[in-house]
Amino acid sequence: MAEIICGARPAREINAEIRRAIAAGDREIIVQDPGARHNLGVAILEPVRIRFVGSVGYYCAGLIDGPRVEIDQSAGWGLAESMMSGEVIVRGSAGNGAAAAIRGGTVVIHGDAAARLGVSMKGGTVLVAGRCGYMAGFMGQKGRLVVCGDAGDAFADSMYETVCYVGGRIEGLGTDAVIERPSADEAAWLDSTLAQYLPGARRRGEDFQKVLAGRKLWNFDKREWKVWQEAL
Amino acid sequence: MSDVLQTSGTFQPAVIDDIQAKAASGLYRIRGWGTLRERRWATFDDLTFLPCSLTRIPLEGYREKCSTKTVLGTRFAKKPIQLDVPVMITGMSWGALSYNAKVALARGARTAGSSNTTGDGGMLMAERENSRTLIYEVLPSRYGINIHHMRMADAIELTIGQGAKPGTGGLLLGSKVSDVIAKQRDLPVGVDQRSPARHPDFLGPDDMIIKVEELREATDWQVPIFIKMGASRVFDDVKLAAKAGADVIVVDGMEGGTGASPAILQEHTGIPTLAAVCEARAALEDIGLYGEVQLIMAGGIRDGVDAAKALALGADAVYIGTAALIALNCNRPLYIEDYRALGTEPHHCHHCHTGRCPVGITTQDPELVKRLDIDEGAERVTNLLRAMTLEMQMLARACGKSDVHHLEPEDMAALSMEASAVCGIPLAGTRRIFGR
Repeated sequence: MAEIICGARPAREINAEIRRAIAAGDREIIVQDPGARHNLGVAILEPVRIRFVGSVGYYCAGLIDGPRVEIDQSAGWGLAESMMSGEVIVRGSAGNGAAAAIRGGTVVIHGDAAARLGVSMKGGTVLVAGRCGYMAGFMGQKGRLVVCGDAGDAFADSMYETVCYVGGRIEGLGTDAVIERPSADEAAWLDSTLAQYLPGARRRGEDFQKVLAGRKLWNFDKREWKVWQEAL
Repeated sequence: MSDVLQTSGTFQPAVIDDIQAKAASGLYRIRGWGTLRERRWATFDDLTFLPCSLTRIPLEGYREKCSTKTVLGTRFAKKPIQLDVPVMITGMSWGALSYNAKVALARGARTAGSSNTTGDGGMLMAERENSRTLIYEVLPSRYGINIHHMRMADAIELTIGQGAKPGTGGLLLGSKVSDVIAKQRDLPVGVDQRSPARHPDFLGPDDMIIKVEELREATDWQVPIFIKMGASRVFDDVKLAAKAGADVIVVDGMEGGTGASPAILQEHTGIPTLAAVCEARAALEDIGLYGEVQLIMAGGIRDGVDAAKALALGADAVYIGTAALIALNCNRPLYIEDYRALGTEPHHCHHCHTGRCPVGITTQDPELVKRLDIDEGAERVTNLLRAMTLEMQMLARACGKSDVHHLEPEDMAALSMEASAVCGIPLAGTRRIFGR
C-alpha cells in the first residue's frame, strides 16, 4: 500500500506519484488531503484501488479503465467522465456532469448529483442515493441510471437506449421521455444492485419509476413535428 | 410582352424548390457538402500575390530551397508534431466516411508527410496503423471515446464546433448508421444520430481550462492540445481558447464541409475563412501569443494558392476536407447513373447525407465502398497534398521567401475593397486600406 500526502503540490505531481506507485506494484493507494484539486486520478488504466481522503475537484477519475476509486467526501464536475470500466464511489455529493459519457463501469454517489448526471452515457451503471439536478440522462445512449431520490427538470431528455430508474418525484420529463413500471426482473436487479452499493438507500426496486426513450426523436419525421419543436 | 423567360430575383428556382420540398416534408432540409451560396463575400480569390521585381529578389525555383516543414504544438507539449507539409487532413468521421475513405486519407497523408484526424465517431484502428501523425478528436458527443486510443495519438483536438454548422452538433442520418457504425458509437442501428452541441462535462471557457489540463494529464503532457472551433466571434473565441491553454487553435470558416447538416446552417451561419484568419491573427497578436500558439485555418481550402494566402495572413498550416474527398473521386464523372438516381450529376453532388455516395466515399454500403480502392485513393491524396505544397512553394519563392511560413500580408494586394477592409491590405492600384 502507498500513501501519498498532497500537501501544497499541484495535481500533476500527485498524479505522477500515483502512477509511480502503480508502476512499483502498489495495488492500494491512499491519497491524503486532496484539497478538492482538479484532475486527480485521471486516466488510470490498472485495476488498482485508489482512495482520496477528502474532496476532489473537476474530472476526478476521468478517462479511467479498470480501477476502483473511492472519494471520502464530495467531487466536482465531470466525475469519472468517459470511464470505460472500474468503480467510482463518492461518499458525498457530485457536481455537474458526473458520469458523463461513460462507456462502462459503475459510478456510485452516496449524496446528491448536480445537473447533467450521466449525460451522453454509453454504457455502465450510475447510482445516486440522493437526488439529481437538471437534465440528467440527456442523450443517454446505453447503460442504466438510478436515482433513489427526486430527479430535476428535463429528466432523460432526447435519449437513445439508456434506461433510468427514479425512486422519488420527477420534476419534469425531458423531450421524448416516457415512464413505465419496471419489470420484475428490473425490480430484482435494482434490489440486488442497491443492496450491494447503496444499502442505506432503503428503496425497493418495485417502487421505482422506469424512464426511457419514447423513440419519437430517433428518426427525423414530420409526424413527430411537435416533439422535434420541443427537442433541446 | 417579352418572349424572354424571366426569373425572379427573389424566388429563384432553388428557392422555389426549397419551399416546395418543405411544403411536402414539413421539415427543414438536410444535406451534405457545405455552403452552396454564390461567393459574394471577400474570399482568398480577392487577393493576389505581389512577386518580386526590383524591390524584392525572388528565389530560384530550381535550385534554392523553400522549406515547408511545419511544427505545431510548441507552447506546452513535450512532443510537438512535425510535418513535412503545412496541409493537413481535417477530422471526418468513420460513419460520415467509409472505412476505405478513412484508410486512404490516412495512408495518403502519411506518404506526404502530413497528418490526418479522427472525427465524430472515435478512432478506427486501421486509421492509426496507416497514419504517421494522427490527431484524435474529442467532440461533444464523445462517440467512441477511448482513453487507449487517445494515448496512441500524436495530438488531441478538443472540438467546440465546425465551420459548416457552428453552434450545433454533428448529424449522421440513419442510412449510414449501419451495424458496425452503431456498435462503434453505442447507438441503435438506423437512428438519425444527432450529436450534442455542448460538451457533456464543461460549459464555458473557464471550465475548459480545467478540461484541457485533464487531457494533458491523460496524455502525460506529451502531445499538443488543439482547440477547434467554427468561425463566428473569432476575435474573442481565439483569445479564450488561447487562455484555456491551447497549443494550437483551429478555426474553421463557413465554407467548411460536412457530411450532413440542416441546409440553413451551412448557408447562413459563421463567417468566411478569409475573415476568420484575419480575426484569429489579430486576436493572438492582441494577447501577445501570435507565434507561440499556432494557428490552423480550415474551411473551403481548395489548392496551394488558398493555402499560401492563409499562411501569408497568419496561419501556420491549413486543413483540407472537401478537397481531399474530391481527390478520392468525389463528384468525379464515374457511375453517372448512380448520381442521377440521387437526382444530381457529377460536379453538382452534395448528397453525402444519403449514404448513397456513387464513388464509395460517404457511404456505409459495402458494395459502394468497394468502388473506392484504398491504394489508388491514397496515392491521389498524396498527390494532391504534394501538388498543393509545390504550388505554395512556387508562390513563396516568387515572393522571395525561403520558407512558406515566411509569407506575410505585405506579399499581397487586395482585388476588392471588401478584401482590403477585411485583411488590412491595400487595394491594388492604391496605397489605401479601406476602412482605415
